[in-house]
Amino acid sequence: MLNLTLWFYAGLLLAIFGSIATVWGPGVEDPVVRTINTEVAGIGVSLILLTYNYTLALLTLTATTVVCTLILLRAITRLEEIGADV
Amino acid sequence: MVVELVPQYVPYFFQSMYTPALYGGLIVAFIALIGIAIQKKDIHILILTDLVGLAMLIVVAAVGTDLAEALVLPGLVVELAEIMAISEILISREMRKIGPKKSFMPSEMTLDMEIMTTAPNFIALVLIAYGAFLTGFTGGAVAGGGIILYALSRKARGLPIFVIDGVGGISGIAWCLWIIGFVLFFAVPQYWLLSLFLAALGLFLKVASKMGLIGILMREEFNKK
Repeated sequence: MLNLTLWFYAGLLLAIFGSIATVWGPGVEDPVVRTINTEVAGIGVSLILLTYNYTLALLTLTATTVVCTLILLRAITRLEEIGADV
Repeated sequence: MVVELVPQYVPYFFQSMYTPALYGGLIVAFIALIGIAIQKKDIHILILTDLVGLAMLIVVAAVGTDLAEALVLPGLVVELAEIMAISEILISREMRKIGPKKSFMPSEMTLDMEIMTTAPNFIALVLIAYGAFLTGFTGGAVAGGGIILYALSRKARGLPIFVIDGVGGISGIAWCLWIIGFVLFFAVPQYWLLSLFLAALGLFLKVASKMGLIGILMREEFNKK
């Protein structure tokens, strides 16, 4: 059950399905939904980094993903406020 | 096939995962690039760029040595700066396109949650202390997360301009520390510990102060009163 290969392939599948969900998933015309769907692929990459024992890379990925989401949400709300076509 | 290119000292387990990881990363990159190709709107393309960055991470991580980790860290921080710059360019371009008819000031928005008045002091302190312990890119990102949380959730607004200039100055001095550490590393290799700490603390200060500026930006945006 604690076979590392299992977690590796789970991470790979999550990354692939997350990217499919981001590109063609339901409701991705809304940029907020698209941003949140990116997190699924991000979790998959986190699992892969965990399998490879990259502690520092995993910490940095977690911290930068949070900041990235904040920046993208700010850009989206700002664009909607000024009435751009998003 | 490609497995022969991996050095011998990589554990067999990581070697056996190299080919699936490489192909998985290429599949993710292919899907994301198709998405960029069929997408018309700029903000969607920016979000999909994030996905291409994740595919890059999988491909780099497949190497399975410390080199991969050393390449992942700056890749992540540079990607962050890139997304920030491009989002600013997008916003200013849309403003120019729409013209001066619209009000450019963001409308009011209350983000009133109980956790944002009680928790930030402690969580920011823990994150900054842990980031200072980690140093380097990782420490900068973790401590920067703490500064963002604090700056975003505090009520005080209207930061004087010299504080922003001061944060920029700290960032510049930290950059100089990093360069001095790098030069010392080659000039006087016997002081390697000193140059290592100069570089690590310089990067820590630089990344953390940049993220602190993002937090101030966010507060101006969301915490309007």
